[in-house]
Amino acid sequence: MSFAKITFCGVMPLLLVCTSCSPSHGNRIVVGSKNFTESFILGELIAQQIEAHTGLKVERRFYLAGTYICQQAMLAGRIDIYPEYTGTALTAVLKEKPATEKKQVYERVKSEYERRFGLTLGPPFGFNDTFAMEIRGEDARRLNIRTLTQAAQLSPQWRAGFGYEFMERPDGFRGMAATYGLHFNEPPRIMDLGLLARALKDHQIDFAGGNATDGLIPALDLFVLEDDRHYFPPYEAVPIVRQQTAMEHPDVVAALAALRDTISDADMQKMNYSVDAQHEDPQNVARDFLRAKHLVP
Amino acid sequence: MQIGWADHCGFGTSSSLRYAGLVQTDARTPVIEFRDVSYRIGSTQVLIDLGLQVARGEILVLLGRSGSGKTTTLKLINRLVSPTSGTILVNGSPNDQGDVIRLRRGIGYVIQEAGLFPHYTVAKNIGLVPKLEKWEKNRISARTKELLQVVGLSPELADRYPHQLSGGQRQRVGVARALAADPEILLMDEPFAALDPLTRDELQREFLQLQQRLHKTVVFVTHDLREALRLGSRIALMEAGKLVTLLTPKEFLQSEDPWAAAYVRAFGGGLDSAADRGAS
Amino acid sequence: MSFLRFLIQNHTQVLQLTLEHLWLVGISTILAMLIGIPLGIVIAHRTTWNKPVLATANIIQTIPALALFGFLLPVPWLGARSDRLAILALTLYALLPIIRNTYAGIHGVDAAVIEAGRGMGMTESQLLYQVELPLAASVILSGVRIAAVISVGLATIAAAIGAGGLGEFIFRGLAMVDDRVILAGAIPAAILALLADFTVGWAERRLRPR
Repeated sequence: MSFAKITFCGVMPLLLVCTSCSPSHGNRIVVGSKNFTESFILGELIAQQIEAHTGLKVERRFYLAGTYICQQAMLAGRIDIYPEYTGTALTAVLKEKPATEKKQVYERVKSEYERRFGLTLGPPFGFNDTFAMEIRGEDARRLNIRTLTQAAQLSPQWRAGFGYEFMERPDGFRGMAATYGLHFNEPPRIMDLGLLARALKDHQIDFAGGNATDGLIPALDLFVLEDDRHYFPPYEAVPIVRQQTAMEHPDVVAALAALRDTISDADMQKMNYSVDAQHEDPQNVARDFLRAKHLVP
Repeated sequence: MQIGWADHCGFGTSSSLRYAGLVQTDARTPVIEFRDVSYRIGSTQVLIDLGLQVARGEILVLLGRSGSGKTTTLKLINRLVSPTSGTILVNGSPNDQGDVIRLRRGIGYVIQEAGLFPHYTVAKNIGLVPKLEKWEKNRISARTKELLQVVGLSPELADRYPHQLSGGQRQRVGVARALAADPEILLMDEPFAALDPLTRDELQREFLQLQQRLHKTVVFVTHDLREALRLGSRIALMEAGKLVTLLTPKEFLQSEDPWAAAYVRAFGGGLDSAADRGAS
Repeated sequence: MSFLRFLIQNHTQVLQLTLEHLWLVGISTILAMLIGIPLGIVIAHRTTWNKPVLATANIIQTIPALALFGFLLPVPWLGARSDRLAILALTLYALLPIIRNTYAGIHGVDAAVIEAGRGMGMTESQLLYQVELPLAASVILSGVRIAAVISVGLATIAAAIGAGGLGEFIFRGLAMVDDRVILAGAIPAAILALLADFTVGWAERRLRPR
């Protein structure tokens, strides 16, 4: 085989490899999000905020299927920013025991992420999307229960429904059931998060593990049981940013800082509702919100 | 008539050589010698106590049917096969000492299907051993041209590939390749068996002429008595791993040895002319 | 919005994901060649190892891709980065066609040619590089072609564990129930597979012995 042929066969794959090396983003910021409504609303908010306040092009890489995938994408530099929850970061990523104090959790996550992953946290958006154990409003009133402790006595007769992550996570179902002595005679059904509220309303289930900022809670007259034993850690929504991105783009850091404490629990519920129930475009919902808060022109 | 190996030293061989017209001056040390060589593979005894000497400049034919051990005997010379017991000496030294690669490069090897490298041109095939021996490029191409002429091939075939040649042409290239580094010894394993009779006849004739010029020491394997009579200065008849008899062509035809006689019978008549045309 | 317009509008991301995909496929195929071709040569020469090696490669191939990704997740250094994991898994899957074809290619070289070469005094390594490999090159490349095409397909699953690549579009499109997004992943992936098949096939044909 001639030398020419050997070089060709050797060089082509090498070229292929080099051209496909992870390119640096240059003047592009990539914003990721998970694959549920609230996450891509937040992603849109982040993206539009950056677009409005810096000269950078923002690329959206939404619908990443879960915490692990987002984390991997950050580590590999495929995305620069994505919205996460402090409680999730603490237990699912750092694999530490849940804590209850908001500030403590935030600081712990920030320092560990910086130390171990080269990632940092922007300031919290202002709402706490903790797990919300929901029952139908009519049931809450009829049975006169407000807390999870009270619910525990009635739970055996109920059918429960939870999302997949909640069932599997250490700060999820297992811990809650243990803390409150919750038992369900039938094993809980695992369902897509988006379907839980409907299923609850339609009497397919009686107890749902949803999220506190779920837009359907007020809309469907659902009641959130109080976490009186403070089992669930705080889940403050925060942007996670690659330290390298933060260093190269201080204007991005500033743009994110402007979002500190701008979204209340109610604000988030309303935005979720617009998209989930009223089928509005998340891009428009995000833009309207930013305009209303005078964050963008 | 069985000739023991002792008779092969000196006089015996020189008489057959004289007879064959291939007189060499120093016929004392046999170029190749087998001493009590046996070869077994698995439970089969392929060669049994083989003793044989090949004199300088002669064409020793190993004649026998398939399974007689003749090809194995050939391969023992260039160490493609190692004996179970006994020694093979090449130019007086055992061929299992020293570099086997050097041994093989000094021995030309021609096989039945030519074994030309299909991805090399004719020229590159011929120049194989010289290239391995790191000859200079000019020397190799000069030698290649020379050899093409010697084996009767047109020089324009140099850039063709083996699949573009006829069987006869391929075999000529095979011979040229074996001769390229000017080895002293040539081993040929039924080289013309796969060719049509006309081409075979042509190549046998030309080979004899070649040998008259080059005086190589040749060990030639065949199952064809006609070919053996024509080409061989001596014929070593082998059967079931044993050397049955070792005779000149004329002696062979008149031999009373049962196996030799059987061969002569099997090949029918007209063999005298074959014996005459060769070795003269 | 038509699919074409969607592609054009999102062309940066399509390009980005395609490059990620190429990276996954490229590295793993090269690694598989670096491991598989020498291994194939060894078992072609020492046929005692032939059965166990081929059997192992065969078993690896029968493990479903997603399952293999799952097995490897807990492994310390590997599981920490899903692209490393994906590359390892893709390499493992590419091994069988490459080993098997190298074995077949070398085995298929005319024994008379090898014997002639050896008889003329070629060393084993000269035989390997000057005779066996050139004559087996076409068959070996055919194995590489198969491996590459399989890899392009398997790499789409890698997105499920966060390794990026065109599979991300596919999974996203499924979650969003948006055909255009699915196609934005599926079509480039199909084109990549065809390209791999075509280019390696071309090299294969060029190297075919006469």
